[in-house]
Amino acid sequence: MSLLEVKGLRRDYGALRAVDDVTFSLEAGGILGFIGPNGAGKSTTLRILATLDVPTAGEVLLDGKSLVDAPDQARPLLGYMPDRYGTYDDVTVREFLDFFARAYGLKGAQRRQRVDSVMEFTGLIPLAEKLTTELSKGMRQRVALGRTLLHDPRLLLLDEPADGLDPRARIELRELLRALADQGKAVIISSHILTELAEICDSCVIIEQGRLLAQGRVEDLLRSGADASQVVELVVRLAAGAEGEAMGARAERLLLEQPRVKDVTREAGALRVRLELEQGSGPMQAEAAAAALLATLVAQGLPVCAFSPRERNLEDAFMTVTKGRVA
Amino acid sequence: MSTQASPASGASETVPVASAGVSDRWEKWGDRLNPLVVKEVRQGLRTRVFWVCFGLLLLSCLVLSLIAYVNTQGTSYSREGRTYFFSFFVCLGLVHFGVIPFNAYRSLAREREDETWSLLLLTGLGPRRILGGKVTSFLVQAALYASAVGPFLLFSYFLNGIDLPTILMVLLLGGAWLVFLTFASVCAATLADGRMGRAFVRFALVAALVVTFFQTLTFIFVMTEGRGRGFSFDRDFFLGMSAGLWLLLSDGWLLFEAAVARLSLVTENYTRHPRRVLVGQALLTFLGVTAVWWFLDRDKDVAGIAGILGGLHLIFTGLFTVSDVDGQSRPLRAGTRPWSLFRPGALRGFRLAVLLLLGWAAGCAGLLWASDVSAESVRMGMALVALALYGIIYLSVALLLGRMPKSGRFASPAAVRLLFVAAGALGAGVPPLLSVFLGLEAGDELINLLNPVVGTVNFGRYDWNDPSGLRMPPELLLCVGLVALLCAFAADRVLVRREREAHAP
Repeated sequence: MSLLEVKGLRRDYGALRAVDDVTFSLEAGGILGFIGPNGAGKSTTLRILATLDVPTAGEVLLDGKSLVDAPDQARPLLGYMPDRYGTYDDVTVREFLDFFARAYGLKGAQRRQRVDSVMEFTGLIPLAEKLTTELSKGMRQRVALGRTLLHDPRLLLLDEPADGLDPRARIELRELLRALADQGKAVIISSHILTELAEICDSCVIIEQGRLLAQGRVEDLLRSGADASQVVELVVRLAAGAEGEAMGARAERLLLEQPRVKDVTREAGALRVRLELEQGSGPMQAEAAAAALLATLVAQGLPVCAFSPRERNLEDAFMTVTKGRVA
Repeated sequence: MSTQASPASGASETVPVASAGVSDRWEKWGDRLNPLVVKEVRQGLRTRVFWVCFGLLLLSCLVLSLIAYVNTQGTSYSREGRTYFFSFFVCLGLVHFGVIPFNAYRSLAREREDETWSLLLLTGLGPRRILGGKVTSFLVQAALYASAVGPFLLFSYFLNGIDLPTILMVLLLGGAWLVFLTFASVCAATLADGRMGRAFVRFALVAALVVTFFQTLTFIFVMTEGRGRGFSFDRDFFLGMSAGLWLLLSDGWLLFEAAVARLSLVTENYTRHPRRVLVGQALLTFLGVTAVWWFLDRDKDVAGIAGILGGLHLIFTGLFTVSDVDGQSRPLRAGTRPWSLFRPGALRGFRLAVLLLLGWAAGCAGLLWASDVSAESVRMGMALVALALYGIIYLSVALLLGRMPKSGRFASPAAVRLLFVAAGALGAGVPPLLSVFLGLEAGDELINLLNPVVGTVNFGRYDWNDPSGLRMPPELLLCVGLVALLCAFAADRVLVRREREAHAP
């Protein structure tokens, strides 16, 4: 049985429907990416899952218990980290975590042990006596994650956790989340940084205007989008030289003359070529078309130094299924 | 990497057994404390504001006491105590009636702005414990400030000119006022959600704190000076003080519960406590009024004044109960019955407000009738019943205007309250103007029949030209009653419809 089951979730604010018939589920130990443009209903859904809001219709079951009918029973099982980390001024890291541990009802030695263990897990021990206001954004985010873990929840809801973090902090966050998933915790992450999500998440849900547009394993989402449009993208890089610019223009013209090439764009010193194949084409036909293109370029004396298929990523899948509308 | 707790470090093993026992007891005691108190006091004592205020308070009291020492050194019998007591009290008042309430407001407002509030709610602490912890922590800080001024207040007693009962009475009233202001400030922090609203509330609170600060000091000054000139703490004074303290206590409690309700999640039965407190306040106040009325030989003025003031209070509080949102969350619906008036929803809030207004008016009218059956009692009784009926009419009109249209554009709680104010202002202002325009007396009885201000006054006014002394015949009160009944019925039906819509799948 899934740890979390969301069935037909709907949330209306007067005439505005922020979330419309959203259904998905998540197993223990799974990491689910929640993707959508601004105003798509991601935060509203997460707030409902965190029991901070109630749906107009639909049901949410956490470990078989209804979040809507018995939120008090569900709260100990979930940890929520909003997009604002929510730390206090004039409080050290240890005091902050100790305060929340008290608030969760942990007492005496058990509380101290729990705070120490969470600080160790999040790497906060060296910063224990520092004021939270003196910390970098990445470290404050760790403190917030530590707070979320104090009561050992089974489901973690993280709203834009990687927003504003530097690359190192993002990589460290990814490792922390992986470790949590390995411990059997289910994690839902809403984020705009789709490349990050692709690396962290097992599965994704894409919503727009409150409606669920696509869901499934990340690999399936990438594959399904590519199959639907029969599009192959290639990256062609020419050797740099004195006549580089002229050579690039010549290559662009030549490529556009080829039968299956629909589009050529220049980006970061390379050419991005878009090939459209016939209906029913498979990987074999795509490879053959790419090989023919490469042969043409070389035959025309163009100094091709790199020629590779551009791999479809989550951003492409996202752009394919969404239209940029907001609720 | 694991979040599971590792075994405790050996630090505690190195502590001697006796001191370990003491620290264990301290820890157990600390565990029982509200976590908010520990955190807020710890945080508060680290702020610059606290140490600057504490230092300035101590310094100013020290300077004042040195001046007092120099001034009274040569005199054999000084009577300067009153002046210096007031001066020390002004220093304390600046902190107690200004800094503490404002800091309490700011603390909660920041908690809401930074969304740490919702994180606290998820811990299971509950809004009552959280707000209670916040208020307690600020009262602890107030006690710390008072500890700095306390010795100086006692010192003023030894300067003569002020007696201990006066000092104790001032401290009692000051303490009650501090508690009330802290509750009110915390409640104010829950009022607005948007940036503009918050800015307005902050401005209004600062203005109110400044005004009430000077009013409080004026009151204390008049009281201490009056005591010096022979004013005694007689029966009337104690009755007045008791009534004032009861109002501060019960209204402070009501404000606290209202703040808790505003910060509760919709899945909770957030209206139960404030509505219970409101009903409890009305019942206990009525019992108190009855006791005072009995104690003062069935004085009808007590019943009349209490009827009018209580009616106004219930209209004001009723405005908040009737403007609740429509319907209630799914977990609460199952156990709701027609008489579950403490459960959330504008419908039940409206019914409760109507019942309280009618009950209060009937109770006070009953006391008047039991006093005597003179024309004066009848007039007072009609005035307070009319006030209750006007309250019902204008509350109903605000609900009808706000919640009857399908668009729901003016259905929000704030819009309904604004509509009530607008309808009341129009109802009070237009009829007198119309009377003057028609060449009649501004307070004409018929044209002002539904005027909440002039109408109430007319029902209570003595008419020298009429042998009965009544300016308004009781039949007109029946007309107002009929209008109130129709308005209340219409508002009730609208709220029933809206609740059904809100609960529809």
